[in-house]
Amino acid sequence: MAGARDNAGAEPGRGGGGNGSLAHGREAIIRVRGLTKRFGRQTVFDGLDLDVWRGEILGVVGASGAGKSVLLRCIIGLEPVQAGTIEIFGTDTARLGHRQWMELETRWGVLFQDGALFGSLTVLQNVQVPMREHLDLPQAMMDELALLKLAMVGLEPDAAHKMPAQLSGGMRKRVGLARALALDPDIVFLDEPTSGLDPIGAAAFDRLIRNLQRTLGLTVYMVTHDLDSIFKVCDRVAVLAERHIVRAGKPEELQRHPGHPWVEAYFCGERAHGPVHGGAAPEGGGAERI
Amino acid sequence: MHKRESMRGDAGAGASAGPSFSITHEPSGLRIEAQGAWTVRQAARIDAALRAVSFPRPLPEGYRSVLDLSNLTRLDTAGAWLIHRTIEGWRRAGLRVSLTGVSENFAILLDEVARRGARELPPPERANPVVELLADAGRTVAGMGADLVALTGFLGAVTATFVRMLAQPWRFRAIAFMHHLEHTGLRAVPIVSLICLLIGAVIMQQGAVQLRPYGAEPFAVNLLGILTLREVGVLLTAIMVAGRSGSAFTAEIGSMKMREEIDAMRALGIDPLETLVLPRLLALIIALPLLTFLGDMMALLGGGLVALVYLDLDMVTYVERLHDAVTVDHFFVGMIKTPFAALIIALVGCREGLEVRGSAESLGLHVTSAVVKAIFLVIIVDAVFAMFLAAIGI
Repeated sequence: MAGARDNAGAEPGRGGGGNGSLAHGREAIIRVRGLTKRFGRQTVFDGLDLDVWRGEILGVVGASGAGKSVLLRCIIGLEPVQAGTIEIFGTDTARLGHRQWMELETRWGVLFQDGALFGSLTVLQNVQVPMREHLDLPQAMMDELALLKLAMVGLEPDAAHKMPAQLSGGMRKRVGLARALALDPDIVFLDEPTSGLDPIGAAAFDRLIRNLQRTLGLTVYMVTHDLDSIFKVCDRVAVLAERHIVRAGKPEELQRHPGHPWVEAYFCGERAHGPVHGGAAPEGGGAERI
Repeated sequence: MHKRESMRGDAGAGASAGPSFSITHEPSGLRIEAQGAWTVRQAARIDAALRAVSFPRPLPEGYRSVLDLSNLTRLDTAGAWLIHRTIEGWRRAGLRVSLTGVSENFAILLDEVARRGARELPPPERANPVVELLADAGRTVAGMGADLVALTGFLGAVTATFVRMLAQPWRFRAIAFMHHLEHTGLRAVPIVSLICLLIGAVIMQQGAVQLRPYGAEPFAVNLLGILTLREVGVLLTAIMVAGRSGSAFTAEIGSMKMREEIDAMRALGIDPLETLVLPRLLALIIALPLLTFLGDMMALLGGGLVALVYLDLDMVTYVERLHDAVTVDHFFVGMIKTPFAALIIALVGCREGLEVRGSAESLGLHVTSAVVKAIFLVIIVDAVFAMFLAAIGI
């Protein structure tokens, strides 16, 4: 395993990745450069650049169909890309062999939109799948660790023997998160973690993500639509529009200085709220773009 | 008298950075210094080593143990859990334990684990296997009865829908009907033809070989003709269609059910029986007799090809022999069964599709059970027909 990781390695700029991935005194744990992705004739990304700093919660927003989920799938290697480099932990993922790739995959966890739990396994077995695949642990210890992970995502032990079909949407997401955390990863990718949850459930899930990130020193990459989540949990927001990341920065900053019509419409539109409002004169025609 | 031992993970894992701890035994207690990384990857080994740590028994007065984490480079939840569990275990055994050298980051993790961990896994609900077996058998039998009732009910509902549609013929979904006619009928032609041709050839060949010692070889033609027209053509075709189209009906309707499309139809005032079931049912009732006829002909053709070789018959003679051997009754006895077989396959397939519940697993189960039930019922109906027709002397 390259790159020593401190348990709560949230301190910016710790050694590790090296080779030029340090900027502004922070270490880019994911570094995307010049990413180009096409589906047939449709170009989804055209020379897209993105940095994710170690220990931050990055929210990725964008209009429906802008390619938020596609970008996530490109980064974790589920979609081939036509051009560009994706560096994770300072290594170019395109150059990894099968074994190294497997090794890399154990260092991140992914929560898919509806949890993507395996329907034929119980909740406990679902959480143990990564341990079973990648480690050699005694069953008793896997049970203990899986229960611990379930507790960390706020599930009671009596959920352990349930089948995914018996769970509510919010519980499925929690189990999916527990599975993503099974190997104590450095990075967690979340695909719309709060979509489909009621506001109370969504707020609880936001809090959960925040707490886990602090406790475990995670880096979180979160695809979202939810303005509340963005203001409550995200350290930084990257806005995907017109095949690029058009803006990236603190949510409050983007709200104050949108600098792009879509960002303006998103952060200052009818449903927008939050601590600050004002500054930045509208650049005209923003709202019509939605 | 200091005794110092080191527990180091040996297998694999670079020894220098490997997880380990060293133990110093002193009269007043024991001191454990954690070193390296305590993470989920090393958890099994550290756990085994920690369990092997021994104390003097009984514990001397004032004996205490110190767990020093100051040399620990990495800790994750699994490592924190091990520390927590080990300390709790020792405390329960009466040992006084203290933690030193806990950095702020480790403290957060240890607190989290102490707060969340140590919960019992509820035992999975497991019944007595014998009771379970008996209960399972009982449920299956009761399920079969309930199934038969439900299928009859479904037949009634579909019939009622059909009658309603007769009163309002413009409601008939002609496009869906044609679509299913193509998929269940036309597209099944190659496979039905091939299988029936081969089976016809095999029956003729076996018949000729088995009858040869009695000099009854020419009767192989009778054997093939009667067997094919009365039973084999019908059954083979029905079984193939059940596997091919019955399963497709279940999968199509079932996946619509899973995505709540059926509920959406009901909410929009569209009757799924009328739009989904009737076109499939009627298409199959048309398609299966046609396919069976084709299957009959192909089986006879296959037999004829073998007869050329084994019986030294030319085609004209073969057809003449066939003409003498079979009557039109044989043909109709076979054909009369086909609409019933089609009805069963379509009803079972559609009903199983409507029974699908949320999960993909349930879809798989219902597709399997649709094929099994359809084939089973087709064979039962065939047997009933055979007895009935024998009784009335045809």
